[in-house]
Amino acid sequence: MSTTPNKDPYAATSRDTTEGKVYTVTGGDWDTIVGSDDPLHHEKLVINMGPQHPSTHGVLRLVLEMEGETVTDVRPVIGYLHTGIEKNMEYRTWTQGSTFVTRADYLSPIANETVYCLAVEKLLGIELPKRAELIRVIMLELNRIASHLVWFATTGMELGATTMMIIGFREREMVLEIFELVSGLRMNMAYVRPGGVAQDFTPEAVEAIREFLKVMPKRLKQYENLMNGQPILHERAKGVAYLDVSGALALGVTGPVLRSAGLPWDLRKTTPYLGYETYDFEVPTETTCDVFGRWMVRFHECWESLKIIEQALDRLEPGPVMVEDKKVAWPAQLAIGTDGMGNSLSHVAKIMGQSMEALIHHFKLVTEGFRVPAGQVYTAVESPRGEIGCHAVSDGGTRPYRVHVREPSFVNLQALPAISEGGLLADVVAGGASLDPVMGGVDR
Amino acid sequence: MSADGSGAAGHGPGAGVGARLAELLGDGCVASVSGGGDWARDTVDVPPGRWVAALTAARDELGCDFFDWLSAVDELPDGFRVVAHLWSVAGRYGVLVRTLLDPADSTVDSVVPVYPGAAWHERETYEMFGIGFAGHEDLRPLLLPDGFEGHPLRKDFILASRVAKPWPGAKEPGESHAGSAGAGKRAPMRPPGVPAPGEWGDA
Repeated sequence: MSTTPNKDPYAATSRDTTEGKVYTVTGGDWDTIVGSDDPLHHEKLVINMGPQHPSTHGVLRLVLEMEGETVTDVRPVIGYLHTGIEKNMEYRTWTQGSTFVTRADYLSPIANETVYCLAVEKLLGIELPKRAELIRVIMLELNRIASHLVWFATTGMELGATTMMIIGFREREMVLEIFELVSGLRMNMAYVRPGGVAQDFTPEAVEAIREFLKVMPKRLKQYENLMNGQPILHERAKGVAYLDVSGALALGVTGPVLRSAGLPWDLRKTTPYLGYETYDFEVPTETTCDVFGRWMVRFHECWESLKIIEQALDRLEPGPVMVEDKKVAWPAQLAIGTDGMGNSLSHVAKIMGQSMEALIHHFKLVTEGFRVPAGQVYTAVESPRGEIGCHAVSDGGTRPYRVHVREPSFVNLQALPAISEGGLLADVVAGGASLDPVMGGVDR
Repeated sequence: MSADGSGAAGHGPGAGVGARLAELLGDGCVASVSGGGDWARDTVDVPPGRWVAALTAARDELGCDFFDWLSAVDELPDGFRVVAHLWSVAGRYGVLVRTLLDPADSTVDSVVPVYPGAAWHERETYEMFGIGFAGHEDLRPLLLPDGFEGHPLRKDFILASRVAKPWPGAKEPGESHAGSAGAGKRAPMRPPGVPAPGEWGDA
C-alpha cells in the first residue's frame, strides 16, 4: 500500500568520529555501483553529489564515476521532491487543479497554470475574453524574465560570479512584487483559472509593470557589461556540455537548450496560443551548442519578453477577465477580500440578498465544480525551460480523470549524462546548470 | 472514454497524419481526432503488438523526429492505455499514439531503441502504473523511494498514508475549537483518495 511506517527511506545512517559526523550513503544506484567495483585494481572513484548540494538546484542527486579528473558515468537520482501532483488532482475539481500544477515547476507557475487551463478550456470548448488572454501573456512573459533571472543568478554563482547572484535576485524581486500586487501572492499563485484569470489588473499593477519596463532594460545592459564578455564565464562555459540538434531531438530536449543548438523551435512561434502570432518578437538562437550559447539565448529572450509585455500592455482594454458562462465562472467577483484572495464580503452579501438560487448555484459550483465533457486533449506552451504540456483526460465528471504534465525539466534533465560524460567534474556543474532543471517540475 | 470525436478533423498543418499512419500500419489500427477544437490532435489507436511498429513508422515514414512524452491512463476494467506524443519538427504537427493493454498482461515492448528519450518516461510509467516495458534495459523505479509498494497512479491505489498521518490544521468549521458548541456534530471528513471505512483494508 505504501512505505513501511516509521522508516524514512531517504535517511542516511551516521556515526560520530573525531573528525565530525560521517554519513553512510545508500539508495539509488549507490550500492550497485560501489559493490560492482574491485577497489584494489581499479582507479575508479565514485562520488556522491547531492541531494543537498548548492549546485544541484534543489534536491537533485548525482552519482558520478570518475577516472582521475574525467567523469565516466553520471547517474541522476531524482524523486526527492515527488509530491504526487498528478494523483492529487484526480481528487479535486477542475478549478482546484490550478492550485496543484502551479506547485510543480515553482519558478514558472504561470506557465504551468496556463497550459493546464488551456487544456480544460479546450475540453470545455470555451473562448477566453480578450483581456484575460492579454493578462495571461503579460504574466507569462514577466514569469519568463523572473525565471531567467534566477537562472542567471544561480548559474553565475556556480561559475564564480557572486555579484550576478545578488543582482539577479534583486531584479527578480521586482517581478515577484508585481505578482503580489496582481494576485496577492508571490509564488504558486493559482492565478490562471479555467475560463480566465482570478482577478483583474488594478491601475497600480499596470503602473508597476510600466515601471518595470523602464527599469529592466538598464539592468539588462548592466548584466551585459558585467557578464557577457567576462573571461571567466567564457572559460567555464564555452565548448562545455555540448548537445547538438539531433541529440536534443532524440532525447526530447526543448527550450533554450535546443535553441542554443540553432533550431528556432519555440512553441510561441511554431504552434501559437493566446494570440502570440500577433506579437512582434524574435526567437533568439545560437549555434554553439554549449553553456555559453544557452546563456546568450536566455539573455536575449529577456529582451524579447520585454517587447511582448509592452505590446500586450498597449492592447489592454477594459473588459471581463473571466468567461461569462455561468456554468464555469463563479458568480462572485474575486475582488481581494479580507482574507486576501476570497470574495469581497459586500459582494457575497449582495448575492445572498438577491436570490437563494444564486447562492445555491454558487455553493455547488465551488464545492462540486463544473462538468467537463468526456474526451482527451493535449496542449503545450513554451515555459522558460521549454515545452510544458498537459494531457488531460475527462470522463465527463467534475474532476480530472487523468492529467499528465509533460515537464521540460524532467525531460531535459535526462540529457545530463549525455552532455557531461567524458568531461570534467566542474563541467558537470556548468552543464547541469545550463539545463535549468527545477526539481519541483522534475519530480512533480 | 475512447469516443473523442469532438475535435475539428482536418485542421492545421498535420491534418490527416493520423489517417496516414493508420493506413501504413494496416489492420487493427484506428485513426481518430482528440478533443480540443483548434488544438485537436490526430490520434491513432494500435494493438499492443504493433506499438513499436507504430512509433517506428511515425518516425521513419511521417517524419516525427521528436519524441515528446509517454504516459498512461488507468481505464480498468478495460485495461491500461499507454499514450505517446510525437512531433514533426519540420512539419510542425504532432500525433498521439495509443494502445490499450490487456489487464491480464500489462506489458508492452519498450520504444527506447526507437527514441532514446523514452527511457525515463517508461520508468515513470512502470512505477506509477505497474506497466512492464519489455526490452527496457534499466526498468527500475525512478521517482518513488526504495522499497515503495504499489503503483500510485492506478485508480485502485489508496492514499493510506493520509489515514496514518492526518493533514495538519483545521479542515472543517469547528475542528480547531475542540469542545466548543457544534464540534463533533459532523461526520469527520475523509482525506481525498481514501474510501469509507469498511470498503478497504483489513476489517
